[in-house]
Amino acid sequence: MKNTVRSCGILLLAVAGVGTMSGLSPVWAQDATFVLNSRENGAPSYNPIKSTKVNLGIKLIFDRLVDQDADQSFHGLLATSWESTADGMSWTFKLRPGVKFHDGEPFNAKVIEWWIPKFKGTENAFMADAIDRVVVVDDLTVRFVMKNPDPSLLLNLASSFMGIPSPKAYDALGDKFGVTGAVGSGPFRMESFTIGQQTKLVRNDDYKWASALSKNRGAAKIGRLTLREIGEDSTAFLELKTGGVDMLMGVSSDFQPRIREEKSLKLVVLPGTEVFYMPINTSVAPFTDIKVREAVALAVNQKEIMSGLFGNTGAVANNFLISSLPESKIDPKFNISYNPDLARKLLDEAGWVPAAGGVRAKAGVPLTVKLWTQNGTQFKRVTEVIQAQLKTVGVNAIITIQDPASINAMYRKGIDHQLAVRSYDYTNADILDWFFSGKRLGYPNVSMWNDPKAEILNEKAMKGSRTWEERVTNFKAYHEYVQSQWVYAPIYQPTQAFAFNQTRLSVPDTVRGTRMTVQSIMDVEVK
Amino acid sequence: MKVLQALPGGSVLGTWRGGLAFLVLLVIALAAVFAPWIAPYPYDIQNLAATNKGPTLAHWLGTDEFGRDVLSRIIYGARTSLSVALAAIGVSLTAGMCLGAAAGYFGGAFDRAVTAVVDLTWSFPEVLIALIFIAILGPGLTSTIIAISIAYLAQFARLTRAQVMTIKSETYVEAATSLGAGHTHIMVSHLLPNTLTPVIVAGMLATGDAIILEATLGFFGLGVQPPSPSWGAMMSSGTAQIFIAPWTILGPGLAICIAVIAINLFGDSLIDAMDIRNRLRDY
Amino acid sequence: MFGFLVKRLLLLLPVFLAVSVVIFLIVHLVPGDPVDHLIQIGSTPEQKAALIAKIGLDKPLLVQYGAWFMKVVTGDFGDAIVLRRPVADLIAENLPHSLWLGGLAFVFSTIVGVATGALAAVYKDSWIDRGVMILILLGSTVPSFWLGLLLILVFAVHLGWFPVSGARNWTALVLPVMTIGLQGVALVSRVTRAAMLDIARKDFVLLLHAKGVSRREIQLRHVLRHALLPVVTILSLRVGWIVGGAVTIEFVFARPGLGSLLITALNQRDYPVVQGCLLMLAMAVMLGTLLGDMVQAAMDPRIRENMQ
Repeated sequence: MKNTVRSCGILLLAVAGVGTMSGLSPVWAQDATFVLNSRENGAPSYNPIKSTKVNLGIKLIFDRLVDQDADQSFHGLLATSWESTADGMSWTFKLRPGVKFHDGEPFNAKVIEWWIPKFKGTENAFMADAIDRVVVVDDLTVRFVMKNPDPSLLLNLASSFMGIPSPKAYDALGDKFGVTGAVGSGPFRMESFTIGQQTKLVRNDDYKWASALSKNRGAAKIGRLTLREIGEDSTAFLELKTGGVDMLMGVSSDFQPRIREEKSLKLVVLPGTEVFYMPINTSVAPFTDIKVREAVALAVNQKEIMSGLFGNTGAVANNFLISSLPESKIDPKFNISYNPDLARKLLDEAGWVPAAGGVRAKAGVPLTVKLWTQNGTQFKRVTEVIQAQLKTVGVNAIITIQDPASINAMYRKGIDHQLAVRSYDYTNADILDWFFSGKRLGYPNVSMWNDPKAEILNEKAMKGSRTWEERVTNFKAYHEYVQSQWVYAPIYQPTQAFAFNQTRLSVPDTVRGTRMTVQSIMDVEVK
Repeated sequence: MKVLQALPGGSVLGTWRGGLAFLVLLVIALAAVFAPWIAPYPYDIQNLAATNKGPTLAHWLGTDEFGRDVLSRIIYGARTSLSVALAAIGVSLTAGMCLGAAAGYFGGAFDRAVTAVVDLTWSFPEVLIALIFIAILGPGLTSTIIAISIAYLAQFARLTRAQVMTIKSETYVEAATSLGAGHTHIMVSHLLPNTLTPVIVAGMLATGDAIILEATLGFFGLGVQPPSPSWGAMMSSGTAQIFIAPWTILGPGLAICIAVIAINLFGDSLIDAMDIRNRLRDY
Repeated sequence: MFGFLVKRLLLLLPVFLAVSVVIFLIVHLVPGDPVDHLIQIGSTPEQKAALIAKIGLDKPLLVQYGAWFMKVVTGDFGDAIVLRRPVADLIAENLPHSLWLGGLAFVFSTIVGVATGALAAVYKDSWIDRGVMILILLGSTVPSFWLGLLLILVFAVHLGWFPVSGARNWTALVLPVMTIGLQGVALVSRVTRAAMLDIARKDFVLLLHAKGVSRREIQLRHVLRHALLPVVTILSLRVGWIVGGAVTIEFVFARPGLGSLLITALNQRDYPVVQGCLLMLAMAVMLGTLLGDMVQAAMDPRIRENMQ
């Protein structure tokens, strides 16, 4: 009887012990769990060619030809060296030998020949648009013959959308590629993918072709990596605090001070790559009138938003590009910033006079506009503040918070929205083309702007620049014209921050890239 | 207490439960109606220099993430919660009573069809029904009211139907029929008045649930849109800063609890006083 | 009895048909369509029309319904339009999570609910009774998301006993189950207590008292057994909740589940997924009602007689 009781007791203790341990920490020593930046939540697939929304995992599964350092210089990944002719009409890449895809297939020039044409007809076609054809010079040398010079070719080749998939697996899986299976040559293989929840990655033990940006020349140090998608910032923070996850790839300004307070956690702040802005639908009243557009843009108080909502971190945005890009240094007279008196004057001139309830009216019609944004703490907050700021100049904005998965589809309709609060995350001036080109009305051109003069400047910047300097000049001209037409209002540039549990992980001190991504993750070790 | 109980309505108000609950409800209703006069500040004046401040003399319950006064927003929030809940239950009650009365009265295939559909809706979780209709109609005040009213429709239809079927066989109804009274006349003059009491009390209890449902929708960001204050939406933004400013979540949370508890207690004492508990069970 | 069961099962078929029509109609009459989520930038109207034709959205509603229903009865729920995977796969991934969460909460509510309700009835007007009444009141009036957040703060953050979120392993189930379970306890407890008090007033109980049967035996063997009948009624209606009722909790605890899948698919207008989920929910509800009726019939001879 006593023995039974004792064995029961021991059994219970053992079960409780196992339960607690398995519940509080991953089972294998080289396991790590990262939480994706909530902006990347909901990516529907890991298909680099077809998908327009991808997350961190895509760079871990697929390698690109080149990669970018923090100073925006390029280093070889699957390519060892490259050169272009003086007129920019031809690029030759030497490829790295001995690279195999996860399915054992070899990587060589023929793969590139197969790969580039696959972009045709997809939403990412613009990435390879300038390439006329691919010439296989020999097994490890490939040449791109260009339609026009493209100074941003290297930048595109380094982006998430130009990860190279295994041709065999890609053709075999068809539409299912990126969902049920994703075969690349990267340091991690995809083990499982649950949309909207998590992705489980397993180390590729054969990996030995990391770029010079990683100190580690062999396989990744982490054995199993789980990428989790968590919608609520506070839940993600709590998970990090309690040891449920090891790293948060994005940390909002609310939680940065709290993380600094915790001894076991470390916060790293990087230069920002994101811009918050408010596109204005130029195709519907009252915004067909440029004066009303200008007034609305001038009503946004960037400084107040930065200090009140973001604790004075980051920087205000006065134009469309992040401050670290040369193309953002336009003539100061084109920069947009808070000027409520001028805003009120412009509205008066446009015929919108103060009326009942503090809302302006014209011929009996009140100045009521729709202000859309997507569900998410930062978006909601910025939108509510802008609503209040618009009210002070007499504009009544009605907020509608849309579901993030369907908001782009709603923009595409083009007629329902008027103002919106959005953000983008990108380190190149050609984002101006992406969001304002007349070829993409609705989404991403939420401003519905189609201006002939703009299109000419766009052509020149995107396709007519032969050198980098020419490109900067042409893009500045395009940028300045965009500013002058008041098709959006700039709001804010957040800093980038990631945080990790320093008792669990050792992370390199310098991040060799514009973000915390694959090249640095290669060097992350589980203690 | 005994003296109070002798007054009309005294059997409800005379009890501790009923009286206290009624008092609380009165306070909430008055706060909702007279919000612009009672609240110390308007609910949408932002002050980004004073965000997330704790309770002070100027702001009894502190400020939220935009520097707005939490106490004022809770008072105005009573307006939103009560009006949405009452409107939704009102619509639901009316539609449900008509449907249930017709089904119970006419019987036959019509009754069976209605019952089958209503039963199915009744077993679906209300949150899901509301979310589905908000997804269809888009977020906002009107859609919230419609979605919540559809979620509770089944309850009132069933209850009315059960009552009608019991009363249908009463002698006075038979008498009216034999005197040549039309269907509408019987339904309106005889059936509805007698079913009103339990259904109205059930409606009152459902208002409590509707307040919680509205708060849940607000928590998802799908109810009334900013800057309109909604207790649920306030709790949702409060969650994001639970460490920085916990009072932003406690205030609205307590408001919801107090309001719903008061409604439930008052409804319960009404049921006891009118002794209709058995009419409200097993429908 | 067996004949009754067969009759009820056969009745399920026309109900199933009717339900499928209703579901199909609701989903398709909703404004907006999934093509907006798939369309390429700069697509011409001809390309959009071609895509619509490829998915089959241009055929008359009746034809679309027929095609879908035929596939459903063979177990093929079709492919998700936006997510491009078989709907059956998506449901298979999410359903187990909902079943575990809902099922455990159901069991917890039933056991604890009946126990507390019975205790309250037996010791009416004592402090046990008052305690249970307060529990019932709180359980029915606190919004589920608040209770969930409270439990997370106390047990996951402060005490660190359980994970904050996710569906990692069985420890991540405890807090969500408690949240849903506590609210279910309130309901079951209330019904049990009311039923027991009701039955305790009946004549046959008076007779048992007069015969000298011990109070304890009366309560447990006789009153409780009869009180379980209305409890079973309430429970059979809550079966649908097991499958789809945990949407809020799934959101607060960042867990996968059928409810979340349904709402996401609905926002994306992914018809096949929405239809599949609603159908599963409806089937669960119908089965639950049927099961409840069966149990009631097994427990109460009067009901069995009524069926004949």
